[in-house]
Amino acid sequence: MEISNLPISPSIRSKLLSKGYTSLSSLSSISPSFLAQELSVKLEEAVEVLRAVSDTTTSKSAHIPNGIIPGAVTAWDMLSEEQMQRHISTGCEDLDAILGGGIHCKEVTEVGGVPGIGKTQLGIQLAVNVQIPVEYGGLGGKAVYIDTEGSFMAERAYQIAEGCIYDILDKFPSNSREFLSCKERLQVNNFLAGIFYFRICSYTEQIAVINYLENFLTEHGDVKLVIIDSVTFHFRQDFDDLAQRTRVLGGLSLRLMKLSKMFNLAVVLLNQVTTKFTDGSFQLTLALGDSWSHSCTNRIILHWNGNERCAYIEKSPSVASASAPYLVTGKGIRGINSNFKRARIM
Amino acid sequence: MMDTEKEDFKSRLAPDVTPNRQLPWLTGIELLSDTNQNKHFLPTGLEGIDALLGGGLRQGQVTEIVGPSSSGKTQVCLSSATHVVDRNFGMVLYLDTSNSFSPFRISCFVNQLHPSLPKELKETSLQTIMSNIYCQSVFDIFALLDLLHHVETTLKHTVKLGGSKLCLLIVDSVSSVIAPVIGGKNSQGWCMMASVGVLLKRIAYEHNIAVLVTNHMVGGENGTLKPALGESWKGIPHIRLLLSHGTGNNRGTTTVLKHTLMASGRTANFVIGN
Repeated sequence: MEISNLPISPSIRSKLLSKGYTSLSSLSSISPSFLAQELSVKLEEAVEVLRAVSDTTTSKSAHIPNGIIPGAVTAWDMLSEEQMQRHISTGCEDLDAILGGGIHCKEVTEVGGVPGIGKTQLGIQLAVNVQIPVEYGGLGGKAVYIDTEGSFMAERAYQIAEGCIYDILDKFPSNSREFLSCKERLQVNNFLAGIFYFRICSYTEQIAVINYLENFLTEHGDVKLVIIDSVTFHFRQDFDDLAQRTRVLGGLSLRLMKLSKMFNLAVVLLNQVTTKFTDGSFQLTLALGDSWSHSCTNRIILHWNGNERCAYIEKSPSVASASAPYLVTGKGIRGINSNFKRARIM
Repeated sequence: MMDTEKEDFKSRLAPDVTPNRQLPWLTGIELLSDTNQNKHFLPTGLEGIDALLGGGLRQGQVTEIVGPSSSGKTQVCLSSATHVVDRNFGMVLYLDTSNSFSPFRISCFVNQLHPSLPKELKETSLQTIMSNIYCQSVFDIFALLDLLHHVETTLKHTVKLGGSKLCLLIVDSVSSVIAPVIGGKNSQGWCMMASVGVLLKRIAYEHNIAVLVTNHMVGGENGTLKPALGESWKGIPHIRLLLSHGTGNNRGTTTVLKHTLMASGRTANFVIGN
């Protein structure tokens, strides 16, 4: 541990270093009066320096018996935590299955695709599905929707929430007492009230809202999902200095990673596509460059497979790459089979 | 204070005040015997990579894995952590910057290790192995420097207590915390990058630990990809491996970009188990 990392004033620090005190251990057995004489400072300042030293050493040495560093958790403890973790359903069972249950909390998932494939629909569906009460297999949390393009439509969110409630009541038709109390919460207006909406009009606002999110999430502890739709939009046109853009985006993604870990929520970033010239041909890749592709934990690419919409898991540390078809219906995102579950006469 | 007391005090302080980085001079023979006896190879668990490296990750050296997105860098790190603990080399510390540490995936690797064991033994071995892998999240370069300093202090002051000692330090990925601070107008970022590099090498050398870091790729000239963090970072790892996607789901190719003992350019294929 170095002197240079101590919270003391720069003039005192330079005096300490010039006298040869470079490590904390050299200050461990000195009396305040001796130090004051050595550095030619007042006695109170010497006392403060030694207090800062003792604070640092006691706070860090207290955890040495437990492990290498304070805050480190063993993989075994993390495994038991992870097994109890609930995931956010996407609405499509096939997609949930290949994702290992749904969108994971504590991870940043990037979803990219061509325009019109259903990214915003998936975003709204997730914002609704995260609010499914715990008794019905959901997380019972709220959602933050950061809209940069203006593509969020409240009427569509109303439709999707209605469809979601309809399907839940279909699936759990029992009228037992514990379900009755939850049924009252299953109102469309409650679901809409559980989505916190931010409209962003420039990249500075986007950076500001992500900085502000930490305070917001501390106040609203039941938020379990943050969606940014789309993270690309304001960074594509306004930036002249691409190197600076990469740095800013890198810092942004680290902050989002920290938020997801700290508040145990899922972060979903929607991204656009661009063309890239590789191997002699133009190919579609996600926007924002190569450095951004490392800033997420998981990546899902939505694409057209003939006439079908398909979701492909391109990057994930825990599940294998796989593909699943999905539909965008009037009720939201659904799987291929759920259409045939029951025939309803309209 | 009287002068004699002052002198006595200063002589007691001298070992701490003067920088005690004066490591003893060693002859070539002593270094060679130390290398052969003490600097073991820690297995990554992936045969192609282990064969390419002559056994695995070398203790005392910093190995870097570079590759495009989803080429298997995190999987190599998770596999190394599992195999190193399984062979009783010691503890593993995994510093994670992108929430990619997956305990589920580690348990898959553990289950592949000894497929013929009975069920109860498998479960106890799972618990033992996973209790020796420590994970900590790091989200900015100051926290990383702080953590590394703390690891160094702990290692200096801990005598082997009969439990395991740290033998592998993984930083996945070191480039995500360094890249946002380098470039730009001031040079503070480059200083911090150099500090991280020096600290990693010092921890590796002085405490006989293998350090494994991952790096991502950025666009270079003519649309080709090159490792991130620039020319200054190139000199820091002892060994650099480039991973690329192979045909098929879990296959990949490794190329040696830089090595202290062998020529670069050698390649090997590897397969990540399910």
